[in-house]
Amino acid sequence: MKVRVLYRGQWLELEFEGEKVKALELLKAMGLSRESAFVVRGEELLTEEDFIKDGEEVRVVNAISGG
Amino acid sequence: MRKCVKCQNKAVVYLPQHRLSLCKEHYMEWYARRVEATIREFRMFSKKDRVLVAVSGGKDSLALWHVLHRLGYRADGLYINLGIDEYSERSKLLCDKFAKDRDLVLHVVELKREVASIPEIKQVEKRPACSFCGQLKRYYMNKYARLLGYHVIATGHNLDDESATLLSNVLSWNMEYLSRQFPVLEEREGFVRKVKPLCKFTEKENALYAFLAGIEYVEEECPFAEGASSIEHKMILNQVEEKSPGTKLRFYMDFLRRMHPLLSSEEVSLVPCRVCGEPTTAEVCSVCRLRERLSPKPLSSSASS
Repeated sequence: MKVRVLYRGQWLELEFEGEKVKALELLKAMGLSRESAFVVRGEELLTEEDFIKDGEEVRVVNAISGG
Repeated sequence: MRKCVKCQNKAVVYLPQHRLSLCKEHYMEWYARRVEATIREFRMFSKKDRVLVAVSGGKDSLALWHVLHRLGYRADGLYINLGIDEYSERSKLLCDKFAKDRDLVLHVVELKREVASIPEIKQVEKRPACSFCGQLKRYYMNKYARLLGYHVIATGHNLDDESATLLSNVLSWNMEYLSRQFPVLEEREGFVRKVKPLCKFTEKENALYAFLAGIEYVEEECPFAEGASSIEHKMILNQVEEKSPGTKLRFYMDFLRRMHPLLSSEEVSLVPCRVCGEPTTAEVCSVCRLRERLSPKPLSSSASS
């Protein structure tokens, strides 16, 4: 399955096995910590347990910042 | 499916460090109550004070301004345009929009007009950009807060900022910085009181609040912050936090409660800068010295403010 992810202004395409993937698994695949990042689908904030299905588009917000 | 501990509807936020599952409505309520409690805990300011919120266009400072406004504080914004090309333009646009949409007062300081933009300064400065940028922001924040008659400057520093700074200061045992690390810096000769009402909130908690409140903010990292050591320290602390929720909050709060009172802070004497009149420990302040390096003309001895 494929998921399109908007991350910091860039579109990425990620592939997973099976028909759906948990939001937490998506964050892990992107190498992001659950302590700083979360997933949004449309206007909906997804919990770590929520599933993302094949072909869906989501946005990943990573709250970590430096400076 | 986790349920909100308050209303049993589907929870959208789970905070492992507080063992709390909340729906959108109750997360917003929890956040505002905790900000109010932090302001009271550290006696930061009251509803009579005029508060100047230093806004950057990022999640923390805009969430702070939003929640202070919701809680009924007299809070206006100050945006310092650092002149970092598109990044600064977008930040300014979002701060302007935030203020206009809510009919709030936003003051804007143009760094390029005051001294020079960050990219211009970077050409003559060897230090990391975050170092002199922070110094300049503190200088102009203080100067304009005082000139505009504000009692308090509130910044959006969060728990990740504070715990990463603490880790860095402990790793180098920088006793001077450790003694000054506190969510309230009292007013003194020429310095306006400075407070950090979000010091007990993680970056993620602030980003969640901003998202759920519908605040449009700059998500992109400042181009000059890439590779900043603070990010490394935050990532290390997040790794520990994943295994042991609550570590960051405990690390920071126990430092404030147990360690900070034992650290003696030597009061350095302040004098007005010979050039600009702002408080400094040297004859000429660091910003005026920087200004001299950018345009090597003899420094005037009269205060400009």
